[in-house]
Amino acid sequence: MTKAFRLPRVLFLLLTMLSIVACSVPPTTPQGQTPTEAPAQSGATEPTAAPAAADPAAAPAASGDGALTDVGTPRSETLIFQTFDRQTANPDLHNPLMGTYAVWRGFRELAWGYLWEMDTGTGQSYPELAADMPEVLNDEYTRFRVKLRPGIYWSDGVEFTADDVIFTLDTYFENKDKLTYWGVATITNYVKSYEKIDDYTFEVETVNPAYDFVTVLGVYTWGSALNIVPKHIFEKEADVAAFRNTNPVTLGPYVVKEFDPNGFWQLWERREDWERSAWGSQGEPKPKYVLYKDFGPEETRTLAFVENQYDVDTFMSPESIKAAVAQNSAISPYSPTMPYHDMNDACSYGVLMNQHRPPLDKAEVRWALALALDLQDVGINALSGEFKASPLPMVDTQILNPIYFAPLQGWLNDFALSDGYKPFNPNFGAELVGKLTEMGLPADQMPQGDEAIKNAFGVGWWKYDPAEAEKLLGSVGITKNADGIYTLPDGSVWELEFVIPGDWNKVMQRVGFSIADSWRKAGIQVNARQVDNAEFGTVQNTNSQLTTLLNWTNCIFSPNYLNAWRSIQPEFLLPVDSPDTITGNMYRWSNEKVFDLVKASYSMETTSPEFYEYGREIIKEFVTDMAYINLMNIPTTIPTNSTYWRNFPKADNPYAVPYSWWSSAKKILQNIEPTGAK
Amino acid sequence: MGLLQYIGQRLLTYVAVLFIGISITFFLPRLMPNDPIDGYIAQIQSRAGQTLTPEAAAEIRATLTELYGLEGSLFTQYLNYLRRVVFGFDFGPSFSAFPRPVSELIMLALPWTLGLLLTTTVISWLLGNLIGLLAGYYHNRRFATALEVLGVLIYPIPYYILALTLILLLAYTWKLFPLSTTIRPAPLSLAQIGSILYNSALPALTLVIAGFGWNILSMKSLSVATKEEPFVTFARLKGTSDRTRMFSYVFRNALLPQVTALALSLGTIFNGALLTEMLFSYPGLGLLMRTAVGNGDYNMLYGTITMTIFAVATAALVIDLIYPLFDPRIRYR
Repeated sequence: MTKAFRLPRVLFLLLTMLSIVACSVPPTTPQGQTPTEAPAQSGATEPTAAPAAADPAAAPAASGDGALTDVGTPRSETLIFQTFDRQTANPDLHNPLMGTYAVWRGFRELAWGYLWEMDTGTGQSYPELAADMPEVLNDEYTRFRVKLRPGIYWSDGVEFTADDVIFTLDTYFENKDKLTYWGVATITNYVKSYEKIDDYTFEVETVNPAYDFVTVLGVYTWGSALNIVPKHIFEKEADVAAFRNTNPVTLGPYVVKEFDPNGFWQLWERREDWERSAWGSQGEPKPKYVLYKDFGPEETRTLAFVENQYDVDTFMSPESIKAAVAQNSAISPYSPTMPYHDMNDACSYGVLMNQHRPPLDKAEVRWALALALDLQDVGINALSGEFKASPLPMVDTQILNPIYFAPLQGWLNDFALSDGYKPFNPNFGAELVGKLTEMGLPADQMPQGDEAIKNAFGVGWWKYDPAEAEKLLGSVGITKNADGIYTLPDGSVWELEFVIPGDWNKVMQRVGFSIADSWRKAGIQVNARQVDNAEFGTVQNTNSQLTTLLNWTNCIFSPNYLNAWRSIQPEFLLPVDSPDTITGNMYRWSNEKVFDLVKASYSMETTSPEFYEYGREIIKEFVTDMAYINLMNIPTTIPTNSTYWRNFPKADNPYAVPYSWWSSAKKILQNIEPTGAK
Repeated sequence: MGLLQYIGQRLLTYVAVLFIGISITFFLPRLMPNDPIDGYIAQIQSRAGQTLTPEAAAEIRATLTELYGLEGSLFTQYLNYLRRVVFGFDFGPSFSAFPRPVSELIMLALPWTLGLLLTTTVISWLLGNLIGLLAGYYHNRRFATALEVLGVLIYPIPYYILALTLILLLAYTWKLFPLSTTIRPAPLSLAQIGSILYNSALPALTLVIAGFGWNILSMKSLSVATKEEPFVTFARLKGTSDRTRMFSYVFRNALLPQVTALALSLGTIFNGALLTEMLFSYPGLGLLMRTAVGNGDYNMLYGTITMTIFAVATAALVIDLIYPLFDPRIRYR
């Protein structure tokens, strides 16, 4: 062999060796964190031996006792949720005082406890760590006494007391320039002073009258500004902001058993002493293990769901649900009839319009956009008709409907624009049913009767009337040119930028494109621009960048509308081309009457009839000004697989809303039952 | 040109490429129309409603600006960045995984990316070139046509479709591989290596199959052309065996552009394999970069892109330096 010929061979050899070495490179784990299995904790919560094989790397397989999950737990004892954020960026950060901690891995539901929790089905607050609702100590509604429930213990066996609450508040105030959890800024601007009275009692004074005390120091649906941390753990840390709390001591009935350092899954194990946990007194959480795991994009997720690899999905598309249901009879949506899914999410989809930017500063133009939007068509194209419309600037839910929608039904029917035109279409749902039936959807899957149709598809929406839209636009000098495209009074084409999410929110992406299509058909030159997550937030909050944008806003879960509308005040507005970001009032809405109504609402008991009446008046102004084109409740698709667990909440068994997060997750864990399948 | 002068020139070019690349990397993300702090505050607003008052939002903004190291003019930030990167390979904290350092996140993802892509790139290169050589050298035979058809068929299939098809066949229908990746953290052991190989096999297979089509086609055309060269004809007349002519004459000469392609491919593996990672929930640099872009995480982008620039520039330098060893024509120049 010549010397020259040896060289490629040597090279081949080297490359082959390199590939073998690369193949056997061990996965690294975060510093000081090998492995991620939680250490045994002292006291009453010493975990039982994991049922997994001694070596966690051993491939899971069916055993004599039944199938094992991918993480080695018995499948029959493990409830598995598909994670809806897929991968968490910070899987080992379990410090709830940092904004980037792995919150979507079940911490809000399984690990922490709150002074007051909110029932996601009714919107009512109820005591969790607190013994009762707070006692108001003065007429100004600024001083409160809170009594804690005795007998609650952290997972390491230390009792939970007022010291933990006081320590947490101290930590918030002393480290507010380092802690990035949003609640730190909220609490430090909300609370004036606090003091411990005894081990189970403390008092708080707020800066302003605090009618929302229970939902700020407790939960407002998605979480609480006050994440209480264990004093005996955190006080040992010199820098609480740097503390990762990788193996957290919890108040909830579960502890972290193991997690993926790459952020694709997290396993929880029920505490032996779950009865002494924050919500253990409400009932036994049935699954011994709860696993949050990513099963990939929708294509592979659907396959895994059909294969019974997990129990609860979230935000699966209607098409995938149909395919999964066809393959596996254990899979079912929330309801057997249209729109198949629960529509009681807190937020709604809608179109934000920068009201500072001409011609969107004119109510006629905003109304024209609403009337040129064929929502039935949009809903059918983007969501297979599986949606619930809402004409008011909030979600039409079982909680809000009796207070705001039903009383305003008559007003909506009679409401007329300045030219006398009545834009409301109370037959929206019935017409949608007709269209869907024409399209071939089985009649027995359609709601029957007016009431059922209203419950399913909403109280109505705005008429699709491009002719009235043209009339309204003409009244402000916007007319069609020879090509049928709208032009501004100066003769230039009206080019409307419409920002929609990119593929990070596929449902909204589809809705956005359908809206743009609807407007184009009406003659509006729309530029639908997809943007990434971070740019989306920047556009929404920056006057100089926003024209119109599709987003979920107006998140009003309980009848306390201030949570969404508190910021409709003049001081929150910025000039039209301001590069600074706004806080709240994303509608850029300036209405003196509403400013007064919102301000007056600050000083009202949030469950009083007067408060609700003010809310209805604000809604009327919203509609009159078309300050925001509210579209529909977020269609939250939560199909379940009942192979291993049964009794998930369904339309015919609505013991809770079906969400696998928020307080409903707690109820679900307490009410599901193993099927016995191994 | 002397050897030292040749090496010196290449090294200078290398340093210049790195400096320009690193500088562009700093300014490019700043041109993105997003802001990591606004993005975070918008997330809070959508999660926490309007409980965030303007005062609280202003406090969060000030806190994050300081913590993220975004204070001072752009030029000051640039100088700080250069100093940190050049002297400490420190890209600061990730914004999306704050306060975790970018370098730590990269070191967590890098072994997965290297393990998967280094292996699959080399295997697909070896397989593709070998098949391409056979298809080219015996281009009149039926099996050679079949091999070429294989390459032509596989090459244009979009990766996502190819991978999904393989998942359907090998993980759903025949259940040879898992549908999604689950590798439990554990000390290195035979069982752990087995678990990694089991979970990585299907992602690797999709990458190998997707990658070797191009190698088949390019090596096939190179070897057909080389086989007709006079020196190969001369070797045949001299009485050399088919095997000798194929490997020693045709393959060796056709290999040169393929080696260059391989080296550059090895450099680009630091980009990760985003689609593979998304499809299989497989950890790696691709998802890190995707998250960084989505969240306006400048520091993470700096870290991942700088590493790619470094890898590609180094690969090009190495090729420049070793090419004379492969190709005598360059040595004699």
